[in-house]
Amino acid sequence: MKRILHILLPVVCCLLTFACSRDVEEMPLYQKYAMRNDLTVAQVTGFQLNDSVKTDVVILVADDSTAWAGLKEEFDIRTAEGITSWMGDIDEPANRVKRSVRPAWRAMAVHADRTIAFYRIDTEAQRQALMDYQMRTIENKQ
Amino acid sequence: MEHKITFEELWEHEERQGLQQRLRQDYPSWLRRRRQRRTALASIAVLVVTGFSIFNFQFSTHRKYDNVACNRSGIAEGHWATVAAEILTKEMI
Repeated sequence: MKRILHILLPVVCCLLTFACSRDVEEMPLYQKYAMRNDLTVAQVTGFQLNDSVKTDVVILVADDSTAWAGLKEEFDIRTAEGITSWMGDIDEPANRVKRSVRPAWRAMAVHADRTIAFYRIDTEAQRQALMDYQMRTIENKQ
Repeated sequence: MEHKITFEELWEHEERQGLQQRLRQDYPSWLRRRRQRRTALASIAVLVVTGFSIFNFQFSTHRKYDNVACNRSGIAEGHWATVAAEILTKEMI
Protein backbone atom coordinates (compact mmCIF):
# COMPACT_ATOMS: atom_id res chain seq x y z
CA MET A 1 0.00 0.00 0.00
CA LYS A 2 2.82 2.38 0.97
CA ARG A 3 4.63 1.60 -2.27
CA ILE A 4 1.49 2.34 -4.32
CA LEU A 5 1.15 5.71 -2.58
CA HIS A 6 4.82 6.46 -3.34
CA ILE A 7 4.10 6.01 -7.02
CA LEU A 8 0.61 7.52 -7.14
CA LEU A 9 1.38 10.78 -5.34
CA PRO A 10 4.01 12.08 -7.79
CA VAL A 11 2.02 10.87 -10.79
CA VAL A 12 -1.09 12.74 -9.60
CA CYS A 13 1.00 15.89 -8.94
CA CYS A 14 2.53 15.72 -12.43
CA LEU A 15 -0.87 15.22 -14.06
CA LEU A 16 -2.26 18.18 -12.12
CA THR A 17 0.62 20.39 -13.26
CA PHE A 18 0.24 19.42 -16.90
CA ALA A 19 -3.53 19.84 -16.76
CA CYS A 20 -3.07 23.38 -15.47
CA SER A 21 -0.57 24.36 -18.16
CA ARG A 22 -2.96 23.92 -21.07
CA ASP A 23 -2.11 24.75 -24.66
CA VAL A 24 -2.48 28.29 -25.94
CA GLU A 25 -5.40 28.97 -28.27
CA GLU A 26 -4.03 31.34 -30.87
CA MET A 27 -6.11 34.41 -31.69
CA PRO A 28 -6.81 35.31 -35.35
CA LEU A 29 -4.85 38.57 -35.01
CA TYR A 30 -1.81 36.62 -33.75
CA GLN A 31 -2.19 34.01 -36.48
CA LYS A 32 -2.43 36.70 -39.16
CA TYR A 33 0.99 38.17 -38.33
CA ALA A 34 2.83 35.18 -36.85
CA MET A 35 3.93 34.00 -40.31
CA ARG A 36 5.64 37.30 -41.14
CA ASN A 37 9.45 37.09 -41.15
CA ASP A 38 9.98 40.78 -40.45
CA LEU A 39 7.87 40.83 -37.27
CA THR A 40 8.18 39.31 -33.82
CA VAL A 41 4.65 38.48 -32.76
CA ALA A 42 3.49 37.47 -29.29
CA GLN A 43 0.17 36.71 -27.67
CA VAL A 44 -0.33 37.01 -23.92
CA THR A 45 -3.48 35.19 -22.87
CA GLY A 46 -5.12 36.13 -19.57
CA PHE A 47 -2.95 39.19 -18.87
CA GLN A 48 -3.98 40.16 -15.36
CA LEU A 49 -5.23 43.75 -14.99
CA ASN A 50 -6.39 43.32 -11.39
CA ASP A 51 -7.41 40.53 -9.01
CA SER A 52 -10.50 39.59 -10.99
CA VAL A 53 -10.13 41.04 -14.51
CA LYS A 54 -7.96 39.65 -17.26
CA THR A 55 -7.55 40.43 -20.94
CA ASP A 56 -5.73 39.06 -23.96
CA VAL A 57 -2.91 40.99 -25.57
CA VAL A 58 -1.29 40.69 -29.00
CA ILE A 59 2.07 42.39 -29.49
CA LEU A 60 3.70 43.14 -32.84
CA VAL A 61 7.35 44.19 -32.89
CA ALA A 62 8.91 45.31 -36.17
CA ASP A 63 12.43 43.91 -36.57
CA ASP A 64 13.71 46.89 -38.57
CA SER A 65 12.72 50.34 -39.77
CA THR A 66 11.39 49.02 -43.07
CA ALA A 67 9.05 46.62 -41.30
CA TRP A 68 7.97 49.42 -38.94
CA ALA A 69 7.20 51.71 -41.89
CA GLY A 70 5.09 48.89 -43.35
CA LEU A 71 3.22 48.37 -40.08
CA LYS A 72 2.57 52.11 -39.71
CA GLU A 73 1.09 52.20 -43.18
CA GLU A 74 -0.96 49.08 -42.58
CA PHE A 75 -2.47 50.49 -39.37
CA ASP A 76 -2.73 54.04 -40.68
CA ILE A 77 -0.41 55.50 -38.04
CA ARG A 78 0.48 58.99 -39.18
CA THR A 79 2.50 60.31 -36.25
CA ALA A 80 6.27 59.85 -36.23
CA GLU A 81 7.07 59.72 -32.52
CA GLY A 82 5.65 59.14 -29.05
CA ILE A 83 2.62 56.89 -28.55
CA THR A 84 -0.32 56.54 -30.90
CA SER A 85 -3.44 54.89 -29.51
CA TRP A 86 -6.84 54.08 -30.89
CA MET A 87 -9.81 51.75 -30.54
CA GLY A 88 -9.70 49.23 -33.36
CA ASP A 89 -12.26 46.94 -34.90
CA ILE A 90 -11.99 43.40 -33.52
CA ASP A 91 -11.62 41.86 -36.99
CA GLU A 92 -9.77 44.71 -38.70
CA PRO A 93 -7.79 46.52 -35.99
CA ALA A 94 -6.61 49.13 -38.48
CA ASN A 95 -10.18 50.43 -38.68
CA ARG A 96 -10.95 52.95 -35.94
CA VAL A 97 -14.17 52.44 -33.98
CA LYS A 98 -15.98 54.38 -31.26
CA ARG A 99 -14.90 53.91 -27.65
CA SER A 100 -18.24 52.28 -26.80
CA VAL A 101 -17.97 49.47 -29.39
CA ARG A 102 -17.54 45.95 -27.90
CA PRO A 103 -15.63 43.80 -28.51
CA ALA A 104 -12.76 45.93 -29.74
CA TRP A 105 -8.98 46.29 -29.55
CA ARG A 106 -7.35 49.04 -27.54
CA ALA A 107 -4.26 49.56 -29.67
CA MET A 108 -1.11 51.40 -28.62
CA ALA A 109 1.82 51.97 -30.95
CA VAL A 110 5.17 52.92 -29.43
CA HIS A 111 7.38 54.46 -32.10
CA ALA A 112 10.61 54.26 -30.11
CA ASP A 113 10.20 50.49 -29.66
CA ARG A 114 8.62 49.85 -33.10
CA THR A 115 5.90 48.04 -31.20
CA ILE A 116 2.13 47.89 -31.37
CA ALA A 117 0.19 46.26 -28.53
CA PHE A 118 -3.47 45.30 -28.87
CA TYR A 119 -5.51 44.83 -25.67
CA ARG A 120 -8.79 43.04 -26.20
CA ILE A 121 -11.77 44.84 -24.66
CA ASP A 122 -14.91 42.72 -24.36
CA THR A 123 -16.56 44.29 -21.35
CA GLU A 124 -16.83 47.61 -19.55
CA ALA A 125 -15.05 45.99 -16.60
CA GLN A 126 -12.02 45.31 -18.80
CA ARG A 127 -11.96 48.88 -20.14
CA GLN A 128 -12.19 50.25 -16.60
CA ALA A 129 -9.56 47.82 -15.32
CA LEU A 130 -7.21 48.83 -18.14
CA MET A 131 -7.54 52.50 -17.18
CA ASP A 132 -7.17 51.71 -13.49
CA TYR A 133 -4.04 49.67 -14.27
CA GLN A 134 -2.52 52.65 -16.05
CA MET A 135 -3.41 55.05 -13.23
CA ARG A 136 -2.16 52.65 -10.55
CA THR A 137 1.18 52.20 -12.29
CA ILE A 138 1.65 55.95 -12.61
CA GLU A 139 0.77 56.50 -8.95
CA ASN A 140 3.25 53.80 -7.90
CA LYS A 141 5.99 55.43 -9.96
CA GLN A 142 5.44 58.87 -8.36
CA MET B 1 -7.78 -23.55 -17.11
CA GLU B 2 -5.01 -24.84 -14.91
CA HIS B 3 -1.51 -23.66 -15.71
CA LYS B 4 1.02 -26.47 -15.57
CA ILE B 5 4.43 -25.48 -14.25
CA THR B 6 7.19 -26.48 -16.61
CA PHE B 7 10.44 -27.96 -15.40
CA GLU B 8 12.31 -24.76 -16.35
CA GLU B 9 9.90 -22.60 -14.34
CA LEU B 10 10.20 -24.89 -11.36
CA TRP B 11 14.00 -24.90 -11.62
CA GLU B 12 14.09 -21.07 -11.85
CA HIS B 13 11.75 -20.75 -8.87
CA GLU B 14 13.75 -23.14 -6.74
CA GLU B 15 17.01 -21.52 -7.74
CA ARG B 16 15.68 -18.06 -6.77
CA GLN B 17 14.26 -19.34 -3.51
CA GLY B 18 17.51 -21.09 -2.70
CA LEU B 19 19.55 -18.02 -3.51
CA GLN B 20 17.34 -15.77 -1.41
CA GLN B 21 17.50 -18.19 1.49
CA ARG B 22 21.29 -18.36 1.25
CA LEU B 23 21.55 -14.58 1.11
CA ARG B 24 19.28 -14.28 4.16
CA GLN B 25 21.40 -16.76 6.07
CA ASP B 26 24.89 -15.77 5.02
CA TYR B 27 24.61 -12.07 4.17
CA PRO B 28 21.81 -10.54 6.32
CA SER B 29 23.57 -7.18 6.75
CA TRP B 30 24.19 -6.88 2.99
CA LEU B 31 20.50 -7.52 2.32
CA ARG B 32 19.45 -4.99 4.95
CA ARG B 33 21.78 -2.32 3.51
CA ARG B 34 20.47 -3.05 0.01
CA ARG B 35 16.89 -2.66 1.19
CA GLN B 36 17.70 0.58 3.04
CA ARG B 37 19.54 1.97 0.02
CA ARG B 38 16.62 1.17 -2.28
CA THR B 39 14.08 2.71 0.10
CA ALA B 40 16.21 5.84 0.46
CA LEU B 41 16.55 6.23 -3.32
CA ALA B 42 12.81 5.73 -3.84
CA SER B 43 12.01 8.30 -1.13
CA ILE B 44 14.41 10.85 -2.66
CA ALA B 45 12.84 10.33 -6.09
CA VAL B 46 9.35 10.80 -4.65
CA LEU B 47 10.40 13.98 -2.83
CA VAL B 48 12.09 15.45 -5.92
CA VAL B 49 9.15 14.77 -8.25
CA THR B 50 6.59 15.99 -5.71
CA GLY B 51 8.62 19.10 -4.92
CA PHE B 52 9.08 19.92 -8.60
CA SER B 53 5.35 19.46 -9.28
CA ILE B 54 4.32 21.67 -6.36
CA PHE B 55 6.87 24.35 -7.30
CA ASN B 56 5.69 24.31 -10.91
CA PHE B 57 2.05 24.54 -9.87
CA GLN B 58 2.70 27.41 -7.44
CA PHE B 59 4.78 29.25 -10.01
CA SER B 60 2.02 28.97 -12.62
CA THR B 61 -0.65 30.28 -10.23
CA HIS B 62 1.39 33.33 -9.13
CA ARG B 63 2.28 34.74 -12.52
CA LYS B 64 0.43 37.66 -14.07
CA TYR B 65 -0.76 35.83 -17.19
CA ASP B 66 -2.15 32.46 -18.24
CA ASN B 67 -0.23 31.65 -21.38
CA VAL B 68 2.12 33.14 -23.93
CA ALA B 69 2.63 32.28 -27.58
CA CYS B 70 5.39 33.72 -29.74
CA ASN B 71 6.46 33.17 -33.35
CA ARG B 72 10.14 33.33 -32.35
CA SER B 73 11.83 30.90 -30.01
CA GLY B 74 14.28 31.83 -27.27
CA ILE B 75 12.33 34.73 -25.77
CA ALA B 76 11.18 34.23 -22.18
CA GLU B 77 7.39 34.15 -21.63
CA GLY B 78 7.64 36.71 -18.85
CA HIS B 79 9.22 39.23 -21.22
CA TRP B 80 5.98 39.64 -23.15
CA ALA B 81 3.91 40.18 -20.02
CA THR B 82 6.41 42.88 -19.05
CA VAL B 83 6.14 44.50 -22.49
CA ALA B 84 2.33 44.47 -22.26
CA ALA B 85 2.51 46.14 -18.84
CA GLU B 86 5.16 48.69 -19.84
CA ILE B 87 3.31 49.91 -22.92
CA LEU B 88 0.26 50.69 -20.77
CA THR B 89 2.47 52.81 -18.54
CA LYS B 90 4.17 54.60 -21.42
CA GLU B 91 0.88 55.84 -22.81
CA MET B 92 0.13 57.72 -19.61
CA ILE B 93 3.52 59.47 -19.36
